[in-house]
Amino acid sequence: MAGLRIEHLYKRYENDGKKKNAVKNDYAVKDLNLVADQGEFIALLGPSGCGKTTTLRMTAGLEDITKGEIYIGDTLVNNLHPKDRHIGLAFEDYAMYPPLTVYDNIAFNLKAKGVDKAEIDKRVREIAPLMQCDDLLDKMPVKLSGGQKQRVNIARAIIRRPELLLMDEPLSHLDGKARQAMRTEIKRLINDIKCTTIYVTHDQLEAMSLADKIAIINFGVLQQYGTPAEVYDDPVNEFVASFIGEPPMNIIETTIIGEGDHFLFTFANSNLKIAVPERYNNVVSNGFKCKMGVRPMDVLIGGADSKGTPEEVATFENLGDERRIGIHVGSSLLMLITDDETRYKAGDIIKLEVRGEKTHLFDIETGNRIRA
Amino acid sequence: MSRIQLENVTKKFGSVTALKNVSLDIKDKEFFVLFGPAGAGKTTILNCIAGIQLPEEGVVKFDGEIVNLVDAAHRDTAMVFENYALYPQMTVYDNMASPLRSKLYKKDEDYIKTKIQEVAAMMKMENLLERLPSQLSNGQKQRVAMGRALVRSPRVYLMDEPLAHLDAKLRNAMRTELKEIQANFGTTSIYVTHDFMEAMSLGDRIAIINEGEVIQIGTGDEIYYMPCNEFVAQLMGDPEINLISGTLAKSEDGYTFTMEGAQKTYELPKEKELFAKLGELGLSKVDIGMRPQNLLYSFEPKEGYIKCSVYSYESIGNKSVIVAETSGLQLRMIAPNGLSVKIDQDIYVDMQLDHAMFFDAGTKGYLTRYNEAAVRAIAAEQEG
Repeated sequence: MAGLRIEHLYKRYENDGKKKNAVKNDYAVKDLNLVADQGEFIALLGPSGCGKTTTLRMTAGLEDITKGEIYIGDTLVNNLHPKDRHIGLAFEDYAMYPPLTVYDNIAFNLKAKGVDKAEIDKRVREIAPLMQCDDLLDKMPVKLSGGQKQRVNIARAIIRRPELLLMDEPLSHLDGKARQAMRTEIKRLINDIKCTTIYVTHDQLEAMSLADKIAIINFGVLQQYGTPAEVYDDPVNEFVASFIGEPPMNIIETTIIGEGDHFLFTFANSNLKIAVPERYNNVVSNGFKCKMGVRPMDVLIGGADSKGTPEEVATFENLGDERRIGIHVGSSLLMLITDDETRYKAGDIIKLEVRGEKTHLFDIETGNRIRA
Repeated sequence: MSRIQLENVTKKFGSVTALKNVSLDIKDKEFFVLFGPAGAGKTTILNCIAGIQLPEEGVVKFDGEIVNLVDAAHRDTAMVFENYALYPQMTVYDNMASPLRSKLYKKDEDYIKTKIQEVAAMMKMENLLERLPSQLSNGQKQRVAMGRALVRSPRVYLMDEPLAHLDAKLRNAMRTELKEIQANFGTTSIYVTHDFMEAMSLGDRIAIINEGEVIQIGTGDEIYYMPCNEFVAQLMGDPEINLISGTLAKSEDGYTFTMEGAQKTYELPKEKELFAKLGELGLSKVDIGMRPQNLLYSFEPKEGYIKCSVYSYESIGNKSVIVAETSGLQLRMIAPNGLSVKIDQDIYVDMQLDHAMFFDAGTKGYLTRYNEAAVRAIAAEQEG
């Protein structure tokens, strides 16, 4: 098994005049650098069209590389045939051979390679319980549910003992609970086989729950590469901050004012004032304009003796497991999540307390984090 | 005034019975949610109300008047569909104006303009009016589809999974927006969804539909805290409720619960009403329902906690779920994001049993719960 190293990777699709936006955004992938250590689970995360699948396909050898290098282990694979890259592939579509049983589908690649029968049988019987498809081996693909098909699909990818496992949205065909259950299975499987894995998804929850590290990509450019905790707690820009987390981080334009020896966030058409963390004292000044970001979990409802700002409840949603409250701050809706059992209604007044130390500052123009 | 009633409605498609004896009584100006899994019959109920489908048995009433034989066009309903169904060649303005230009509900252009501006302002889409549907994002399209229904003042709004097409984030944001403007509807609304958060957030009352039958009707709180069976308990809540099988036994001054598998015995917290109910029922085999937020965990051994191993640790947004496993039983609980938890490491779990619900191990039906009187009082107040 091996790690993956991507250096200064570019991809440009030739403009055939058909794609409307081909000129505007001519690189599908732009100067991408990424290192996955051996055994790491990496998620490539971003909105559709961001270049994450293109990156995966270049790694697999299904797409030409415009510029840059891809190494699997220490081997430069740019010019290697896909079959010589020692990779396993599992895509959103299952692409199974319908006339073959599950057993033969899983065994197919080994048979094609001429591995002897006894060895194939041993490996199929080894993999099948891992993917919980031991009792499916004699079935035909049409008889399988979506979840079962995806299990067989993954079994087929890992039976070759690849150095690198590449998965492209393997769960997006499944719905609700099947999807959640399969997500957990994938996580446990990778934990067992310890294979370096690159996993493409547009679903931040999948990335957050599966990956050791997440590469967040937008318009072909890597925005941030870090552990789930890093991208959640320490986003590099507004895009990452609002892409990770549900409901997303509240991000509102603010004018900072100085009051005595400290600073406050203030907002147009709102009485709300939030203390700016002291560590920013050297980067902000009276009248400084930027955006303030704060996660819904870091906005609290104060008790009766709270010094928080009284604010009117605009929306109250009782979701059973939790309650969400929206407050108008100028033209934005500031969301908070609470376990508080009180059933509020629109128009009620609550004392709003914001954990000032948990706020982030973003540049209005570039969206980049302003750091202390 | 539009009270909508269904009385013993049965609808068949060939040999398949889509609706079995469905009865609903939807109050005037109520926001009523039909909630259930795919294929449950929710849309068929909506279609029977709209007049798109005619039930084989039973009656549909609008304000007490049987409308079975009134055709769809004359029932004065406004529908919103999952797939928007916008006219691609018309601007947003003309799309919204279309119902008010139809023969049946014709209004003059001044009225139309005022009405569209009013709805567009409410839905924050004033700047979209001149665009064509192809120039809109999916969220905007759904806003237009809804706006087109809202310009009319029908007897009832019928909404069939209007947010289901949207991705998770947008769906949540739109749900909150809908919640904000909901108060302005002032008209009976029936809303179909398979998303429990939409059902909980939007519904004055919710009807749980499964396999063509009405399983339970109540406010969100009522159904969440007193689900009529284990199926409903599992539908409401993400992560799913923990259902733990075991045996009840009388102890010196109360009851004990012995968990199957883990062979751990708990002394049940004392509550007079609960113990009276358990005594009355006289059951020994029960399933206890525990919401994930009512489980406690520790990574160090702790008095009274059961030893488990971590099966998974996954983020669900602003918090995470730990699944712990002990002798074949999986327990789900809520934890903060960003803990350093390893798969298969030891974890110790305890249950806050004073939040427990009790279900019959045989029929899977609801028996009782802690604080039942309080939950009933909240529900009664909400139904007002």
